[in-house]
Amino acid sequence: MAKLRKYLVVTRISLQNVIAYRSSALGGLLFYSLFIFVFFNLWRAIYKGGEVTGYSLTQMIWYLCITELVVFGCRSGVYNQMNDDVKSGSIAYQLNRPYHYVMFQFFNALGNMVFNLVIYGILAIILGLIMAGPIPGFSFASLPFALISVFLGIIINFFFMITLGLTAFRLEENFAFYLIYQKLVFMLGMFIPVEFLPKWLQSIALYLPFSYVAWAPARLVVAFSWDLFWQVIPVQLVWALVSILMSLGMYSYGVKGIQAHGG
Amino acid sequence: MAAIEVEGLCKLYRTRIKEEGLKASFRALTRPVYKEVKAVDNISFTVEQGEILAFIGPNGAGKSTTIKMLTGILHPSSGRLSVLGMDPATQRRRLSYRIGTVFGQKSQLWFHLPPMDSFVLLGAIYDIEKAVLKKRIDELAERFEIGDLLKTPVRKLSLGQRIRCEVAASLLHSPDILFLDEPTIGLDVVAKHRIRELILQMNREQGTTIFLTSHDTGDMEQLCRRAIVIDHGRIILDEPVKKLKYDYMNRKIIAVRFTGEYKLKEIDGITLEKSGRLGARLSVDTRVCSIDEAMRWLIAQGGVADITVEDPPMEDIIASIFEGGGQSLGGGR
Amino acid sequence: MHKHVVRAMNVFRLIGLYFKVNLASALEYRASFLLQAFGMALNNCSFVFFWYIAFSQIGGRIGGYDFNDVMFIWALCSSAFGASHILFANMNSITRIIVSGELDTFLLQPKDVLVSLLCSKTSLTAWGDFLYGFILMALTHGGDAQAWSMFLLGIVIGGLLMTAISVTAHTMTFYLGDASLIGSMALEFVINFCIYPEGIYRGVVRVLMLSVIPASFIVHIPLKLARHFSPGLLLLLLTVSAAYCCFAYVFFYRGLKRYESGNLIIARM
Repeated sequence: MAKLRKYLVVTRISLQNVIAYRSSALGGLLFYSLFIFVFFNLWRAIYKGGEVTGYSLTQMIWYLCITELVVFGCRSGVYNQMNDDVKSGSIAYQLNRPYHYVMFQFFNALGNMVFNLVIYGILAIILGLIMAGPIPGFSFASLPFALISVFLGIIINFFFMITLGLTAFRLEENFAFYLIYQKLVFMLGMFIPVEFLPKWLQSIALYLPFSYVAWAPARLVVAFSWDLFWQVIPVQLVWALVSILMSLGMYSYGVKGIQAHGG
Repeated sequence: MAAIEVEGLCKLYRTRIKEEGLKASFRALTRPVYKEVKAVDNISFTVEQGEILAFIGPNGAGKSTTIKMLTGILHPSSGRLSVLGMDPATQRRRLSYRIGTVFGQKSQLWFHLPPMDSFVLLGAIYDIEKAVLKKRIDELAERFEIGDLLKTPVRKLSLGQRIRCEVAASLLHSPDILFLDEPTIGLDVVAKHRIRELILQMNREQGTTIFLTSHDTGDMEQLCRRAIVIDHGRIILDEPVKKLKYDYMNRKIIAVRFTGEYKLKEIDGITLEKSGRLGARLSVDTRVCSIDEAMRWLIAQGGVADITVEDPPMEDIIASIFEGGGQSLGGGR
Repeated sequence: MHKHVVRAMNVFRLIGLYFKVNLASALEYRASFLLQAFGMALNNCSFVFFWYIAFSQIGGRIGGYDFNDVMFIWALCSSAFGASHILFANMNSITRIIVSGELDTFLLQPKDVLVSLLCSKTSLTAWGDFLYGFILMALTHGGDAQAWSMFLLGIVIGGLLMTAISVTAHTMTFYLGDASLIGSMALEFVINFCIYPEGIYRGVVRVLMLSVIPASFIVHIPLKLARHFSPGLLLLLLTVSAAYCCFAYVFFYRGLKRYESGNLIIARM
């Protein structure tokens, strides 16, 4: 318990830090609203053009609000932080501190993420109500269950980013990996629901982690069903575990590299 | 002919005052409160062609503001200003072809490229013909001994090497006046000495007028014949360095450490400023007691472990100028 | 008139010079150069994928555009962004340069301050954006001469407009003390309006896109010209773009006067 307290202090400090950077937080809110606005217009135009499978326009707008929430919620700069720490060599000083580096980064980012989720969550609800109105047949009783999925999506995304940031240990130029990861999340769920993909790609996507970052939580929020819940949550749990293990593995692999080559 | 003529030059800054907090931010938007600061307050001087002038003073005295007005970066609030017969405020571009600048912390060189590439770019910026530029680079490379450095990326150069390249870069277009703002800041003794020699050589051989601001009394002593001391935006002294040296820089600080308990018998010209159990700081008035004498005296006290001799800092010299002409700086601090 | 021609030639020569030095600087890091450019091109591919899915869902047109139209504005936006950031990458650092006093270096040189300032940095990833547009055009428009000529003209106009937007936003620093936030967001904001059909917007937004947010001048009007050429529209495009750039230029120099007077309130960063 005492061990956890140490990390919670880190979280609190990082939370204070975000609040201090009000102006950049403001910029993020502006862009969140802009993206929703642009895509609201875009989807409206698309729905005017023809039938779209599986989602009503209202659901589609809310879907976007949620997927963007997951992505903006994760904007803690953890990838850059890791990258910089490794490349500048300052990670060497962090190795012998009395905490686990990866856990430190997680709790450090947690403050940021909690803040983002609350703020963007409120904004998402306001924007969704203005642009789309309430979803017909939406049940508040199932919302907490959908939020579990949102939380898991964020965890998966976060630890994948840490893993990618830590590849800097062994690779000079790892930015391309980051881009590829980001775009896969983007294409396999964030802007396009998995249901829209060609059949063959759908079946592949459901075996990969990327759709479980944004698609699964958003789908559960806009069209909750217990079938989907029991289908999605176990997979999310597995990917969350895998991503955490990967980041820890990548970390110890990287540290071994430092110890072997002297930094 | 005068290279620089300054008459009644003033620079007033009007800055908006903003208090802490969001409320104050809004108030500042609607009813801003201004504060006036006189950075340069009615100064006049003339620099002849071929002169080396030291423009010295403590931090915030108005040195940088003056040099920025002389080079056209800032416009004066009032007063008359003429550099090589031009008005820097309105003829900055024309003037820039004839002056060179080295601003201590700001680099003209591209960090990731060898200086040669920057030299070629600067050559084009200053409209120097290719053949002329090539000759000039060769000449400067030889004189500044930077021939080998020209192909090394700037990021791999030492500070001393970089500053030599910086100075060479500012001389590519053979300026009539060279403005140097803290050129030796951060350099070690050897590198400082090297830069000073090069500046002197430029002055002797090409008749380049040198206008130098510095914190370093050494820069002034070894380079300049004349010094202007400025404080709080005003000229408080405009004299040959020789006289300044005699009047105000007649003091050395000796820090001494002893091997055991010690006892000092004061003599004329040496005052004890501070004493601890194993060490002391002494102030020597070199008009009364030469460094040679002081050393002999000190050794005679016995049990000396270590000696350091320093110049008093610029701030002290200026303080003593304020206290009134000709006094020794000895004692009382 | 002659004097202006000489001055313009000098500016082009200066841009060319900086381009060469920049390229040399960039090539110091050859491997990272290629990788970053490749990464950026790949990044852009995901948008093509998005559109492919969107069009395959409903077929026909979205916001009045067919698939090729969308690819045209995408290609143009990407290449114009690339071109402007290859030549003028410093547009993103104007606030920092003003606040840190680095601006003095440019003021002391006998060349146009704004041009020197903008040119003295390049962006590696911008090459990826630049080339990507050409590849996309080749794949979707093949040998359509009219489309290609509008694409090439659009790169010049769009690149200049994007630069003007950044310059205008960052120039606020002269007036506000620190406009880094506005500066960093302005262009991204406008680009968000450039990469979708203008037909998806209505009313006020459409008007904004033809004025304060000049997105339509960057991509949508060149597309119109590529499909149905009209000299009048071309003239309008050229005039408005020129006016916009002139405004940015004058606005910068007006702000610079405040810098020269020394009355700038510089916020500590």
